[in-house]
Amino acid sequence: MKIGFPRALFYFDYFPFWAGFFHRLNIEVVTSPATHRQIMEQGLKKASDETCLPLKLLAGHIQALKDVDAIFLPRMVSVEPDTYTCPKFLGIPESLFPAVPSGIPVLTVVLNWRKGKRQVLKDLQVFGRQLGKNKAEIRKAFTLGQEWQKRYQDSMGAGWDFEESIREIERAQKGLKDSASPPECGRGQGARTSTSAVSLKEQNTDRLRIALVGHSYLTQESYANLNLLGRLREKTEVQLVQHVSQEDVESHLLGLRKKLFWNHAKQIFGSGNKFVRDHEIDGIIYLSCFGCGTDSMVQELLAWKAREQHKPYMVVTLDEHSGEAGLVTRLEAFLDMVERRRVHEGYVSTYGERLDRDSNTL
Amino acid sequence: MLGEDKYFLGVDVGSVSTNIVLLRSDNTVEEALYLRTQGRPMQTIQEGIKLLRTKMRDSAEIVGVGTTGSARQLAATLLGADVVKNEITAHAVAASRVNPQVQTILEIGGQDSKIIIIRDGVVSDFAMNTVCAAGTGSFLDQQAARLSIPIEEFGSLALQAKHPVQIAGRCSVFAESDMIHKQQLGHPLPDILAGLCQAMVRNYLNNVGKNKDIRGPIFFQGGVAANPGICKAFENELGQSIIVPEHYDVMGALGAAYLAQEKAGRRPETRTGFRGLHLGETQFQAKSFECSGCANRCEVVEIMQEGISLARWGDRCGKWSTTAGARTDAGLTESEEEKQRA
Repeated sequence: MKIGFPRALFYFDYFPFWAGFFHRLNIEVVTSPATHRQIMEQGLKKASDETCLPLKLLAGHIQALKDVDAIFLPRMVSVEPDTYTCPKFLGIPESLFPAVPSGIPVLTVVLNWRKGKRQVLKDLQVFGRQLGKNKAEIRKAFTLGQEWQKRYQDSMGAGWDFEESIREIERAQKGLKDSASPPECGRGQGARTSTSAVSLKEQNTDRLRIALVGHSYLTQESYANLNLLGRLREKTEVQLVQHVSQEDVESHLLGLRKKLFWNHAKQIFGSGNKFVRDHEIDGIIYLSCFGCGTDSMVQELLAWKAREQHKPYMVVTLDEHSGEAGLVTRLEAFLDMVERRRVHEGYVSTYGERLDRDSNTL
Repeated sequence: MLGEDKYFLGVDVGSVSTNIVLLRSDNTVEEALYLRTQGRPMQTIQEGIKLLRTKMRDSAEIVGVGTTGSARQLAATLLGADVVKNEITAHAVAASRVNPQVQTILEIGGQDSKIIIIRDGVVSDFAMNTVCAAGTGSFLDQQAARLSIPIEEFGSLALQAKHPVQIAGRCSVFAESDMIHKQQLGHPLPDILAGLCQAMVRNYLNNVGKNKDIRGPIFFQGGVAANPGICKAFENELGQSIIVPEHYDVMGALGAAYLAQEKAGRRPETRTGFRGLHLGETQFQAKSFECSGCANRCEVVEIMQEGISLARWGDRCGKWSTTAGARTDAGLTESEEEKQRA
C-alpha cells in the first residue's frame, strides 16, 4: 500500500511522527514535491477563496500526489496538552475534499493530545483497523513515530535546516524497500548538528542577527515566501522559532494574563518574546499571511513587546503574489535600518560608512 | 574637491512618475525632472536623459549615479548605476540632508505610501502600505479624472470647502460609491473633495501610521504633497504643522543622488559605471520568456542593448540572472569588498 502525504501545513513540524508511524507498519509514504508554480495555481483553484494561503497550498499538494492508493489527511486537533491547533487544522479533511482527485480515497484519523496519550493511541488503533493492522502493531508504530518526532525536535535546537532533516528521514524511508533494518535517522542528524553548530560560531560575528518568527509552514515554505529565509541567510544570521528551547518558550509566556490556546501561537509568541529581550538579536521579522486568525492577535501582542524594548520589528504579510519587488524593498529597507541603528547605537561611529554596503545584492 | 562641472545623477523610477535629479557638487539641485512613467519605464528614462542632455553644458560630467524606486534594477541596468537603493532609505537620506532635525516622513506616491520614523538622523521605524492602494495618489488621480477636474486643481478646490462631507476611506471602491451618493444628494464639489482628502488621510494614519510615534518636524513628500487639501487634512488630524520640502516630488531621486555622492566620497579612486548621456539615443529592447527548466515556469526578463544582453532577472534559481551581463556581477563583488572593508 502506498499512502500520499502532502508536503504542506502539518508536514512541517509533524511529518517525522507520521513517517515513523507508517515506516513501522511497512506502509510506503510518498510525499508531494516541493511547492512550485503549478501546485500553487492548482491550490488556488480548488481551495475555498476565504481560507488562508497555507491551506490553499495544501489543496495544491493534494492534487500533486500521483499514483497513490490513498491520501492521508489527519485531523490534528491538538499536539500537546492544554492547547489546540489552529481551527483550520480542525476542519481537515472535510474542508479539502473538493481538492481530492476523484477516485482516490482519503484516510484520516483524529489526533487529540488534550485527551491524553491513551485516547490518542486508541484513536490510532481504530485507524489501524482500516489499514489491516492489529493493536500491538499500532502501539509499536506509535512508539517509533514518537521517537522520530522527538529526535527531530531535539535536533532543531542546534541544527539548521528543516528540509535537510526531512531528507534524512526520507533516505531512511527509501531504505525501507531494500532492508528492514532500523533507520539511522537520529545518528546522522546528530553528526550534522554538531558540525553546523561549529561553523556557526566560526562565522563573522559582525553580521546582523535577525529573528524570523512565524508559522513553520510559512517560514520554511520557500516557494510561497519568495525565498525569504534564503535571502535573509545570505546576509544575516537567522534565528527561527524552532531554534528556541521549550523552556525558553515557556518562561517567556509567563507575563501573559491569559494563556494562548493555540500551540503554534504559543511557540511563536514565546520565542518572539525571547528574541525581543535578547540583546544578541538585532531585529525581528514576523512572517504572516492574509487571513490568519491566530497571527492577527499574536502579531499585535509581539509588536507591543517589541515597541516596549525598542527592538526593530517588521511584519511581512504573504499572499498569492509572485512579484518579489514588494518583499525585496521591505527587506532591504529593514536591514538598512537595523544596520544603521546598530552603527548608531554605539560601536564605532561610522555614519554613512555602511549606508549602502549591501546595495544591490538582494 | 570636485570641479564645478561635475554632477551626481539620481533617478527614481516609480509606478506613476520617473524623477531625475542632477545634483551639484555643493549639494544643491541643478535640475529636477518629474516625468510620467506611463507604464513604459525604459522609454521614460531614455526621454529623461535626452531632456537632461539638452539642458546640460557640454563640459558637464556625471561622476556618479544612484537609482531607486520600484524599477531601480531596470534603471540601474540602463544607466550603469553605482548605487541601487530601496525607496525608504533614499527618502530618509534626502529628508535628513535637507533638514537634519526631521523626525517623521510621510510619503505618498503613486501606488504606495510609507511612513518613516527618524530619530537622531537614523531610520528607527518604517511602514509601507499593504497590497491595497486605497490611500495612494492613483486613487486621487482616478477620482479627479472621474469628476473631470485637473489633478492640479484638486487641492485648491478642496481648500474652499466649508463643511467637508464624511466619506468612507477604508476601501477605494466603497469611497467611490460613497462619493457618488454624496454628489447625488447635492453636496457642493469642494466639500466632497475635502471629505475625500480627510478620508484618505484617516486611512493612511490608521493603516500605515498605525502605532507610530509621529513627532515634528514632519516632512510630507511624494507627488501627493502637491495637494494642499491633503496637507491641510494631515495638519488637522495630527494637530501639528507639516513641512513640504522644496523638492518634495523628487525626494527619492535626490536621496539616490546623495547616496551616489556618499559612495563616491568614500571610494574616490573608482570611476562611475555611468554609461553616458548618449544612451538616450541608443536602442534598448526588453523581452521576456518563460523558462521551461522546471515546473516553476519563471518569467525571465532580458534587457538588450543593440543585440547585446545587458541583464536578466525574474528567475528564482539564478540560472539566467547569473549568466547575464558583467555589470551586475561587478556590483556584487563591489559590495563584497566593502563588506570586508567595513
